[in-house]
Amino acid sequence: MFLEVQHIVKSFGAEKVVKDLSFSLQAKQTLSILGKSGCGKTTMLKTIGGLISPDSGKILLNGVDITETKPEKRNIVYLYQEDLLFPHLNAFENIAFGLRIKKIPEGLIKEKVQHMLHSLELEGQADKMPTQLSGGQRQRVSFGRAISTNPSLLLLDEPFGSLDTGTRQRMQELFKKLTEEFDITSLFVTHDLKEAVLMGNQIGFMQDGVLKVYEDKKDFIQDPQTGVQSEIEFWGGLK
Amino acid sequence: MRINWKPFVLSLAVLLILFPFVYLVFLSLASEWRFPDVLPSYIGFKNWVTVFGSETGLLQSFFSSLLISLSVAIFSTTSGFLISKAVFYHPKKRTLTLLAYFPYILAPVVFAACLSFFFLKMGLFGNMTGVVVAQFIIAFPYALLFFSSFWNEKVKSYEDLVATLGGNKWQTYTKVLLPLAKGLLLICFFQTFLISWFEYGLTSIIGIGKVQTLTIKVFLFIKETNYYYGALSCCLLIFPPVVLLYFNKRYVFKKLV
Repeated sequence: MFLEVQHIVKSFGAEKVVKDLSFSLQAKQTLSILGKSGCGKTTMLKTIGGLISPDSGKILLNGVDITETKPEKRNIVYLYQEDLLFPHLNAFENIAFGLRIKKIPEGLIKEKVQHMLHSLELEGQADKMPTQLSGGQRQRVSFGRAISTNPSLLLLDEPFGSLDTGTRQRMQELFKKLTEEFDITSLFVTHDLKEAVLMGNQIGFMQDGVLKVYEDKKDFIQDPQTGVQSEIEFWGGLK
Repeated sequence: MRINWKPFVLSLAVLLILFPFVYLVFLSLASEWRFPDVLPSYIGFKNWVTVFGSETGLLQSFFSSLLISLSVAIFSTTSGFLISKAVFYHPKKRTLTLLAYFPYILAPVVFAACLSFFFLKMGLFGNMTGVVVAQFIIAFPYALLFFSSFWNEKVKSYEDLVATLGGNKWQTYTKVLLPLAKGLLLICFFQTFLISWFEYGLTSIIGIGKVQTLTIKVFLFIKETNYYYGALSCCLLIFPPVVLLYFNKRYVFKKLV
């Protein structure tokens, strides 16, 4: 397995936020995780990204134990719900940010960023500052900035949460396209049921710090806890 | 016909604001101006020539003040920025922030009197280093409180993002935090420079007359009733803040608005 998370526990004071978290993920796959606010999703992602230290447990990436590795050495990029574009840099420089940090030659940076702008359907927007971009464009630049560094694992924390329905749908399609084009392995956290089903090759459900990963989508749909059945009943009742 | 008073009122307000400064310059050019003369018997650059000839040590005081204020502004802005970050992430953030108000509870003269024993023991009494340290004690908490509003969850998220993109601490500062805080850093530098530039009570006690900043000199001239030199030193006193104000207005405030 590419990513193996073994018995991770994390508490803040007396409150146990993540309880015995264990799951694995194959390379080039997306595990979407559904969960309500406050169920421990963000803490789980930040722990995997190295931004929070776990109380116990292990994280293996490509067979290497990275539990104690600093976030900057993990090659795992964490994407927030907010696009967090650097306000002093234009779209091109935002995408090039990670590449410049890694001291990639200038020519290669230009080539990679131009290719990324094309993949993100952002041609002609390179010189625009973040304030001149729409919500969807900003989120795309944020994606580009994360993907351009070729991360081993991408952690997405409700990345489309702040977008309107139409933009959200377009971004979901774009994300699917990008994961195939750039062979991305990712954990996609969302509280949107439809998005969870659409985005993941595998689906998990998190509640009160406990994550349950389903064998396939059928198991997920049939589990009454996930809320899929009640959704089906609701929409069926409208007929 | 209704008279529009607005331009007249505005002009009067501008005149009233500008008058003290113009009068100050005029007074610095004058000498031997006695009652009931309407104008001084001499108007010229005699005072300025004397000063620039360093006869009264005013020019030396100007450069001493400049050196002290620049040192205080640089040290307090830099350390205030860095330490305010540590305070923001500290579990006892509130207590530490409250402690930063302590130097402002006491009057500067009383505060200096409290510190004088320690300064004497450390050999910092009556020298420029001592004055810089004393003024730093006043300016640093200001910088610390000033930057406390900069640090927030969003800035923390930026830091985390840079880390996951592969950036180390130095890169986080140089490529993200400092560009984000550029405007605030310049304003804080300006403010702490002014705190130091116009500081009197603390400087007079710790400097014990050996360190004569321009502010100290102004008071000395006023005590000696040498109005012309007093006005001249006031002109020198106002000059650097005006230059700083101009740069702030031109390069900082414009970008912040």
